[in-house]
Amino acid sequence: MPSIEKDGTLIRVNDEGFMACPEEWTPRIAGILAKAEENIDTLTEEHWAIVNFIRAHYEENGLAPMVRKMCQNTGFSLKKIYELFPSGPAKGACKVAGLPKPDGCV
Amino acid sequence: MGSGRGSVPADILLADLGLVPRLCYNIFSFPSKGIYCEAEVIIQLSWIMSDTLKLFENELQIGALLFLTIVYTIRIIWLLRFKAREERTHAEGSASRGVGYSLMNIAMPWAMESTRRKPGFYAQFVIFHLGVAAAIAATFIIPYAPRLFEIRAVVRVFQGSMGAAFIVGIFRFARRLRTPALRLVSTADDYISLLLMILFFAAGVMAVPNTPWKSEWPLIFFFGLTAFFLVYVPFSKIGHYLYYPFARYFLGKTLGHRGVMPRQRRLIRDGTEDGQGSRSWH
Amino acid sequence: MRRKKIQASGIVNAPLETKSQVKARQDNLGSVAEGRLRTYDPSADNVRKFLDLLAAKITRPLVVSLTACVHCGMCAESCHYFLVRPDDPTMTPVYKADQIRRIFKRHLDWTGRVIPWWVHARRPKDDEDLNRLKNIVFGTCSACRRCTLNCPMGVDTALLVRFTRGLLTELGIVPEGVFNVSRDQWETGNQMAVTEADYLETLEWMKEEVQVELGIADVDIPVDKPDCDFLYTINPREIKFDPRSIANAAKVFHFAGESWTLPRWGWDQTNFGLYSGDDALGGYVARNVYEAAERLRAGRIVISECGHGYRSTRWEGYNWAGFDQKIPTESVVVTLERYLQEGRIKVDPSRNPEPVTFHDSCNIARSGGLVEEPRRVLKKVCADFREMVPNRTENYCCTGGGGLLSMVEYRPLRLEVARIKADQLRATGAKLVCTMCHNCIDGLTDVIKHYKLDLRVVQVLDLVSKALVVPSGEMAARS
Repeated sequence: MPSIEKDGTLIRVNDEGFMACPEEWTPRIAGILAKAEENIDTLTEEHWAIVNFIRAHYEENGLAPMVRKMCQNTGFSLKKIYELFPSGPAKGACKVAGLPKPDGCV
Repeated sequence: MGSGRGSVPADILLADLGLVPRLCYNIFSFPSKGIYCEAEVIIQLSWIMSDTLKLFENELQIGALLFLTIVYTIRIIWLLRFKAREERTHAEGSASRGVGYSLMNIAMPWAMESTRRKPGFYAQFVIFHLGVAAAIAATFIIPYAPRLFEIRAVVRVFQGSMGAAFIVGIFRFARRLRTPALRLVSTADDYISLLLMILFFAAGVMAVPNTPWKSEWPLIFFFGLTAFFLVYVPFSKIGHYLYYPFARYFLGKTLGHRGVMPRQRRLIRDGTEDGQGSRSWH
Repeated sequence: MRRKKIQASGIVNAPLETKSQVKARQDNLGSVAEGRLRTYDPSADNVRKFLDLLAAKITRPLVVSLTACVHCGMCAESCHYFLVRPDDPTMTPVYKADQIRRIFKRHLDWTGRVIPWWVHARRPKDDEDLNRLKNIVFGTCSACRRCTLNCPMGVDTALLVRFTRGLLTELGIVPEGVFNVSRDQWETGNQMAVTEADYLETLEWMKEEVQVELGIADVDIPVDKPDCDFLYTINPREIKFDPRSIANAAKVFHFAGESWTLPRWGWDQTNFGLYSGDDALGGYVARNVYEAAERLRAGRIVISECGHGYRSTRWEGYNWAGFDQKIPTESVVVTLERYLQEGRIKVDPSRNPEPVTFHDSCNIARSGGLVEEPRRVLKKVCADFREMVPNRTENYCCTGGGGLLSMVEYRPLRLEVARIKADQLRATGAKLVCTMCHNCIDGLTDVIKHYKLDLRVVQVLDLVSKALVVPSGEMAARS
């Protein structure tokens, strides 16, 4: 299984960069994933607002939140979320929040 | 017998020739030229076609052709018993134009990237199949219009065509053995059918001079092979020509209906034609 | 004769995963209980069932594609799998087609039945064999039809691959991803299990966003409005991942003075039945759309930008569902072209100054027939449009087609053979690559990321909406 390694921390990810074991997520890992997958050097407060919301929703409901909920809750427009996470809410922000890969072919 | 001019008896003359010269003589020589001409006329005048050759050139062919027709008819009926696809959508293009374009595919090498990138391969295809046409034509000309093969130029053209096809066949056989991608999918049918065709072309080259009075065996061999093919072909890959119109028809019908075929050819402003410019990736 | 070197086969040996299938049975999902969605039964004689299904479902065009092949190998160099792995003979279209061809010959063709060794005819031995077949037809082919168009005989290898997939789907011998998406589409009517509440909420939200952005109160995203000019159908991705395209569509339709609506049910134009080979699923999903149009008495059906969705809803769906087409069914790009031609919207190409190239999706060009239309639109809304080479019906697959995006086990191979697409994109020097297909967006994004290209993927609607010139009088008159 592929993995991302930084400063002694090993994160097991699947082929698309989503965490293989979501329960292993920590805020530190979020930072590593953000750099490795989204090319974000440092996560700002705005990033964290989104990531924390997603993580909380996932831990409570076992699913990723709908995009609209993300926007409502954080007060950011969809445009803003795309600016913060270039891959978008599902592929970018959810990945950084340590969620598993979403289903669906598209 | 004898022309009365003090000539050497023909059979002694012929017997003096070694095997290779005799072969060449059979293949390439003609009446009315050369030092053997007198002997030839003698042989020709006194020669009577054997029953075997008569049978091989006529009844055997007709019988085999009949067999082929019956088998092909059964095959087509079998094919048509499978369900057809129903089309319930409005057309964007024209199904009939698509069919026409699709059927003409083998005559339009520019239409597919594969044939554009490999013009030599396409040329080989043309040569090979012209050889096939020549061979088939010969099987009718020899028994029913033999005067055609009294014209030297015609025989040379036929020999040239089948000879070239023979060479292409050898190349293609070597390619099939050499190329791993082809080796993986090639079956006994693929190899043997090709070998038989190569043999057939060789037999054709030797048979079209149509000089049975010298030796009947090239003709017997050629017609024997022809009859064999007529029985063998429907069960082998050589029968692909039967499926060509059907396959192209179905593809052309669907893609014509959807407006994909025929391809619209249009020049873009910068002068390149649409769809062209495929690069070699190797 | 110097023998060419051979690379080890790239076929992925993924075992048959049934975790989701087991769960679906345990949860007693309707589609499983009613037998619409098949699950794998290890105790059944799956080989026998496979052969019976083969005989029952085969059609004339398929038979002809199976018998017409002469093993000439011309298809090999049209396939991106083989072009990037030229020393791997298992990557050729002819090899892939032969897997089902051999079974057909053994079971239904006279030469193959009487002397099977002569034509390499053979039956699958066991479920392991069927699993291997699954790995080939799902994992080494994106069903792009490039080989079909390069075959001198007209053998439709992509169709054969789909057919084989359909047989395996009937037995539940499918990759997990395929099962999951099929399950979602059977159970919820859309590919991403979007609930009606989420759907309606998202539409409301987008409506508000557009109203705020334009400062116009009467921009609407109607749902279930009868007697409109057209019914708009979308990709669930537009609800779940990125609703901005819905907002863009609403904007454009508003300025074009269009009367349109989305349906409450039957809004999913995507169709996993195309990928899984399941005509029943395909028919079910497509029928939802057609019936919605009938119910709302819409004048036409407009399909948002999606490759396989377009092909399924415009072409295949009517046949799968046994539903005669009554109203025009078109892609939104054609709608946009019409607006531009009729002057119903005004655009300013200088708003899209970056160099743009266009990627022809397989299901749009080769199987859909839309080739010049997107180009005509793009040339009007972009300042610098460039063709990639090859283009149009000869373009290369984004490599994410055929449902491969949902099959994670085949991803490494897919990205490896995407090198050809990467080279093609890089050569254009463009900054944006435009595509009419959501699948291609992801497929191309994967290629761009993996090969570190400096490109962004956009859709035609994005570019049109960016170039849209809002009539100045309008705002005052309407607000």
